[in-house]
Amino acid sequence: MNLIYGNQTGEEANRTGKEWKFSDILAQPAVRERWEKVRKYFFLRESTYDMSNRCNIRCEGCYYYEGDKQFAAENRDPDDWRRLMQAEKARGITYVVLAGAEPSLAPELCRICFEEFPLGSIASNGLKVIPADINFKIHISVWGNDETSARVRSAKNMLIRQIENYKGDPRAVFVYTFTRNNIAQVHEVAGLLAEHGCRLTFNVFSAPVGYRGDLRHTPDTLLGTRKAMVDLLTAYPENVLFSHYNAVAHTHRKGLHDLYACSYPRRNASTDIGLGRSFRQYRTDLNWDRAVACCVPDTDCDDCRHYAAGSAVVTARMFRHAGNPDTFKAWLDYVDTYLAVWVMGYQKGVNLSDGMVAPPENKIF
Amino acid sequence: MKTTIEEIILHVARVMIDELKLEDITPETFDPDIDLVDEIGIDSMDLATVALVLRDYYAIRIEEDDYPKLTNVRLIAEYIDQKLGEKSMAAAN
Repeated sequence: MNLIYGNQTGEEANRTGKEWKFSDILAQPAVRERWEKVRKYFFLRESTYDMSNRCNIRCEGCYYYEGDKQFAAENRDPDDWRRLMQAEKARGITYVVLAGAEPSLAPELCRICFEEFPLGSIASNGLKVIPADINFKIHISVWGNDETSARVRSAKNMLIRQIENYKGDPRAVFVYTFTRNNIAQVHEVAGLLAEHGCRLTFNVFSAPVGYRGDLRHTPDTLLGTRKAMVDLLTAYPENVLFSHYNAVAHTHRKGLHDLYACSYPRRNASTDIGLGRSFRQYRTDLNWDRAVACCVPDTDCDDCRHYAAGSAVVTARMFRHAGNPDTFKAWLDYVDTYLAVWVMGYQKGVNLSDGMVAPPENKIF
Repeated sequence: MKTTIEEIILHVARVMIDELKLEDITPETFDPDIDLVDEIGIDSMDLATVALVLRDYYAIRIEEDDYPKLTNVRLIAEYIDQKLGEKSMAAAN
């Protein structure tokens, strides 16, 4: 498969200018079935919450320790947290993402969130087990093999410890973040995870504002990342939660905002509907600031290819993907993947697209 | 024969009810001025779905930037009416 030109289907459809009816696109039974499956989850409305300003490791390029949010005081009052969760529910939030700095260090607060919200996820480094009664998805961050983790995260035997903590746990999804320097290592890591029956998905390093380190991608490393993603999707179909369109969207030479127009408040002034209206990103003092609210605050928007951002931003652009069957199938694969990664109990189906499709009005790379 | 705005309102209400599986309401009892976001709780994905179905039915072009602003049935109907007018003007020319 050509990683830059793909099978051209999306671009061909864009070029021919044929006007497809949505009902014609849905006329294919497999497409209709997948559409009905994913649309049941359109009720999901997320906000994110920093649970603690502490972390048990310190990683190069960590978004949490950029900007002002790291200096917010920790509110650890369970009553305040419960009141916040109830207020969030009252304003229509249906899904909570518990993130920075390391939620596993505040399990009592995570539990309160779970008691109030049946659906949610926790971003963790996986070094401390989150109690089993907190039945949220748990995203365990992996940044390379153990040698690399020791260097950029100052943590020894990280992958082995993560696997030991979470193998066989239906909540766990390992999230491999591709940096400029760890592309080749993913094969070793994915092999080990597959051997232990773990599921994994992929993230792409997105530089924080002002980042000067050497993890930032180049066009060449984005293509290398794309190739590795596609290879692993083929090699470990039972373990890898991903699609070709995920690979295209997250390794494109343009970032997510350029490709899809980010709908988080930080880049979207509209409060009419959608994320611009409902999304908030709470700091550990339980305050939030619309001007900086997005799923990964302090990321350089021009470089943002973050998996969490894409899950919302690509999904929100259904309308523009419904221009022809190829792009719509690619979008369905993307949404099916996102739901499998983020929602407990959701089972990913077989991808409908088996090749590269360009994002609407764009080239494949 | 030109479709009247009242007919469009009824049809939009019917699509809303069918696509969003709204209960205890008919096109005739659907208040066209009720705020779909604040009072019915529909979100951007719901609105996108409705926009696609209406695009099919009326064979009009709906811009992606437009539909999020169409937050009640009357606004949607007026938007469709305007697009239909533009379409017949273009056909006449």
